[in-house]
Amino acid sequence: MKHEIKEEGGVIVIALEGDVDLESSPEARKVLLDCVGRKSPIFVDLSGVSYIDSSGVASLVEALQTARKAGFGMSLVAVSQDALRVLQLAHLDKIFPIFDTLEDGLAAG
Amino acid sequence: MSMNKGAHNQSREETSRTVSEELELLAVMGQDFAASLDIEETLSRGLQRITDYVGAQAGAVFVLSDDGTTLTCTACSGPIDVVGLSLGSDEGIVGRCVQNNIPEIVRDVSKDPNFFQAADEVTGFETRSLLCAPLSVKDQKIGAIELVNKSSGDGLFDETDLHLLQSLSSSAALAIINARMAEALVEQERVRRELELAAEIQRSLLPDPGGDDFPVCGINFPARTVSGDFYDFFPLEDGRICFNLGDVSGKGMNAALLMAKTASLFRCLGKTIHQPGQLMARINAEICETVTRGMFVTMVGGVFDPRTGKVVLANAGHEPPLFRRTDGSYEPVPAQAPPIGISPFLTGSNDFPETEIQLENGSLYIFTDGVTEGYLENGEELGAEGLQERLTEYTGLPIGERLQTVLSPLKRDDVALRDDLTLLVIEDNNTGHAEQVVPPAGEETVPKKILSLQFRSQAKNLKGVRSAITGAAMMSGCSEAACQDVVIAVDEACQNVIRHAYNGDDNGAVELDVLRDGDDLVVELRDYAAPVDVSKIKPRELDDVRPGGLGTHFIREVMDTVEFLRPADGEGNLLRMVKRIA
Repeated sequence: MKHEIKEEGGVIVIALEGDVDLESSPEARKVLLDCVGRKSPIFVDLSGVSYIDSSGVASLVEALQTARKAGFGMSLVAVSQDALRVLQLAHLDKIFPIFDTLEDGLAAG
Repeated sequence: MSMNKGAHNQSREETSRTVSEELELLAVMGQDFAASLDIEETLSRGLQRITDYVGAQAGAVFVLSDDGTTLTCTACSGPIDVVGLSLGSDEGIVGRCVQNNIPEIVRDVSKDPNFFQAADEVTGFETRSLLCAPLSVKDQKIGAIELVNKSSGDGLFDETDLHLLQSLSSSAALAIINARMAEALVEQERVRRELELAAEIQRSLLPDPGGDDFPVCGINFPARTVSGDFYDFFPLEDGRICFNLGDVSGKGMNAALLMAKTASLFRCLGKTIHQPGQLMARINAEICETVTRGMFVTMVGGVFDPRTGKVVLANAGHEPPLFRRTDGSYEPVPAQAPPIGISPFLTGSNDFPETEIQLENGSLYIFTDGVTEGYLENGEELGAEGLQERLTEYTGLPIGERLQTVLSPLKRDDVALRDDLTLLVIEDNNTGHAEQVVPPAGEETVPKKILSLQFRSQAKNLKGVRSAITGAAMMSGCSEAACQDVVIAVDEACQNVIRHAYNGDDNGAVELDVLRDGDDLVVELRDYAAPVDVSKIKPRELDDVRPGGLGTHFIREVMDTVEFLRPADGEGNLLRMVKRIA
């Protein structure tokens, strides 16, 4: 798994790429929580995620809960088909704000 | 002593020289030549004997230079030392004698237009008459031997003298030829020994084999003593493995030297430059600075990460490597840049584009054209398809043995190789040995095993498990969505085994079997951990978004049947999951 963090216009965009699985989710969790700690609205770009498992989803959920407690939003953008299937299985597609593109997310924010 | 006898004979009448005395002289000189190690010393001695015997004032042996343009005196007898004196190969009476290959008696040199006056002018010697015989073996001209100024008897060289000189010249010519051949043999032996040393250094440039568990393995058979092919691999500090395989144009010593240079550059620069494209560009710049015109290197260089199964490589004009997937299909990885050493302008990393390959438990075979163009016993080339067939046939063998076996029909003891043979494999064996059985077509009546995997309870193995199960599900005719579901279920089930059954122990054995039973795809996951209390395994409440507990929910959601069974031998846990696929 790879990740890229961009901070611009007062928001943080985290792009995850590759497989977010049992091996890489601790890293994903750390990246997400670090960014949440910066107290800015967060957009997680999942367009490059080829696989995400329950541990990856759990990291997203934990970050979402932490962000909300801090009073900021966390949204998912450009969710790949594979990742969306897993979010749907977890019924989390209704809990996360999900946008087709980052622009859509920023406009809604 | 024959010389004394010869000197003694001078006082007699010439006609009294007996045949037996001449034969004795020739026999002695012949033996001398035959036993000689120092040809010039022997020539000198022989010349002195015959000069004395015939009763001449002086004698000289002239030898033709290798290029046939000059005659140089290599031995002489008499008052003046003319060793080293040279003249054109067609100059003088000696030149004429050599060119015509005919012996001559010249009784008065002043009347001969070819007489080479300059020699006498330099030495102060006065040449009056000459006896000259060519040194030759068959048509090969070697030089001539001459006697000067007969002082005994009537002072005139006669036919008997000429015949005697001819006899000497025959054995002398043979001795010179023999000496030259011996010298050439010594030289050949010296070159052969140097080649052996070069080959030894070349072999030392190849990496030590890493054993059957190491994911990279190579093999090289040179067609001659030295090779223009090379391969190398070495671990990087971050656990990845840098590898290369190359083929230098040509096969001789020059190719071997360029091979050594390129391989050394790769090994040295490869330790700090981990992007294959950039590395190749750097090597290209170095090689272009110094390469002999017209020589070049085709090369594949890359980096393999055994933890993820990912290969990143750049191919500079080399034969496309073959990527073998677990389903048995092959995909060539064509070159995207010209060979190294062709263009000094290719110095940017973009000039040597990188290709990324996820091996997903497959193998990448890199080889030189000596392999595909190698001759089989029936005289045909192995070819790319032939290579694929052999790779498929022996895919179950351990890595080193496999390479040996694949090349064995080309490397026959009784036949010289047409070209160097080099083969390198990079293998993603993260999840242990995968064994796949292709289901026969038609109606299924008994469950057919499609996949059998054994691996350790480690998170890093899951990626390989997922790719293997994807292949197995696709082979069974699952739709893409069904494949995705089966992958999710197997991945989550494996996670449960790793996290909960083995509770973090990363050395637990896990076995995964996939069977096709009629319209069902059956997955059985076995572990050897302490039995799990099945009643405590339950899906999470869906309105609870706390992390954890999701996996079991996923499994139940995507599979049609999920059962926790007691293994027949009683040990560990067995999870049986079924997905209807038709």
